[in-house]
Amino acid sequence: MFDFPFMLSTVPVLLKAMGTTIWVTLVASIGAALLGFSFEIARRSGRYSGYAMRFVIDFIRSTPILVQIYFFYFVLPQYGVTLPALVIGVFALSLYYSGYLAEVFKAGIDSIPAGQFEAAKSLGLGRLDTTLLIVLPQMLRAVAAPMGNYFVSLLKATPYLAVISVHEMLGTALDIGSETFRYPEPMIAVGIIFLVLALTIAQAVRWLELRLLASLKR
Amino acid sequence: MTQEHDAKSDDDAIVQIRNLHKWYGPFHALKNISLDVRRGEKIVICGPSGSGKSTLIRCVNGLERYSEGRILANGHLVDHRSDHLRLICQEVGMVFQHFNLFPHLTVMENCTLALTRVRKIPKAEAIEVAQHFLERVRIPEHGNKYPSQLSGGQQQRVAIARSLCMRPKVMLFDEPTSALDPEMIKEVLEVMTGLAREGMTMLCVTHEMGFAREVADRIVFMDAGAIVEEAPPEEFFGAAKHERSRKFLSQLLH
Repeated sequence: MFDFPFMLSTVPVLLKAMGTTIWVTLVASIGAALLGFSFEIARRSGRYSGYAMRFVIDFIRSTPILVQIYFFYFVLPQYGVTLPALVIGVFALSLYYSGYLAEVFKAGIDSIPAGQFEAAKSLGLGRLDTTLLIVLPQMLRAVAAPMGNYFVSLLKATPYLAVISVHEMLGTALDIGSETFRYPEPMIAVGIIFLVLALTIAQAVRWLELRLLASLKR
Repeated sequence: MTQEHDAKSDDDAIVQIRNLHKWYGPFHALKNISLDVRRGEKIVICGPSGSGKSTLIRCVNGLERYSEGRILANGHLVDHRSDHLRLICQEVGMVFQHFNLFPHLTVMENCTLALTRVRKIPKAEAIEVAQHFLERVRIPEHGNKYPSQLSGGQQQRVAIARSLCMRPKVMLFDEPTSALDPEMIKEVLEVMTGLAREGMTMLCVTHEMGFAREVADRIVFMDAGAIVEEAPPEEFFGAAKHERSRKFLSQLLH
């Protein structure tokens, strides 16, 4: 039968693993956003880099995340690249979500009126300044909500890293299960913790979005 | 280019447009345009919509590519090497129909951005320059506001100040009052008239014929991508030579 006190006893161990989950989510989200933005800017910067980046973005989005994770974990060492599983995990999640974020950023940049680019150009602003000081801030205001969705999605994708033995929450719950032969309690506990985390991020994004929108309407 | 044109060209010309053509696909948008703007001269370009007026002045600072001919702005050939174009844009200011202020920056930041990033002027100094020009367009008190907190007329005056901060040699105005409510047009035109009085070289696309009559040294009338008539205002408004110009004026003036 379901043992509630046992479930509670798994919580401290799982909360320790939650540190890894949060850390991975945070770093991979930043990585995915930076990569995604770079991809999108590169895609816009010329015809050939446009084709190349379109291919990269589509390739990333069209292969399963688990295949990508296994690829980096098993294939890279064959070529002499051995990295800790945690690093590979963070990199794989960053890359996978960068493909989606690049699409989100594309829509965000498309929503900026052409006049903004013309004004920047007519003032003699360079490409980098225009990108960082004019495009980026306006884009972020436009894409806060969908970008937040992908951060939540990324959080929920961290259990994939259990397959390459990263001790995030699911991996830890599976360990508890295999040691005690009791799976329902740790699994349910993990589910609840994820739920709380996801709702927290979603709420934080909503708050941020309201603030950004308010600052635009000031 | 040809001898004839070199002979015609004026050393004093700050903008030289020579045999300019532009095609959008099969559409011939600009047809053999030649125009000189002398230092301190105020030129108003008018004509029906779709006549190529905006396209023409957008070619001067490289916002629009031209297909044939050449443009010299302050002695520099306007082409599309980006470093080159940046240099030209620092000397040619532009004011747009829809203001195009940066909505995420304050009025002051809008004005100081290019000074600090392009001219590399220290921030404190840039703020002084911006404040000077905000006073000149008569909105010194709104520096800390965001564009969306201002009226259309105020936004356009900020846009003029933003452009002036770079101390351009020429100012291009692309229908600066067309997006404004009638009661705000006056305040923008007053600023532009003041600017003209102080000797700024101006190339204005506008439908404000009162402004044209008062300020312009020359009126350039365009139709279907070509310059139809070029004349001082008293001549243009008093006795336009071409049938097409007369028809345009009769539809415009009351």
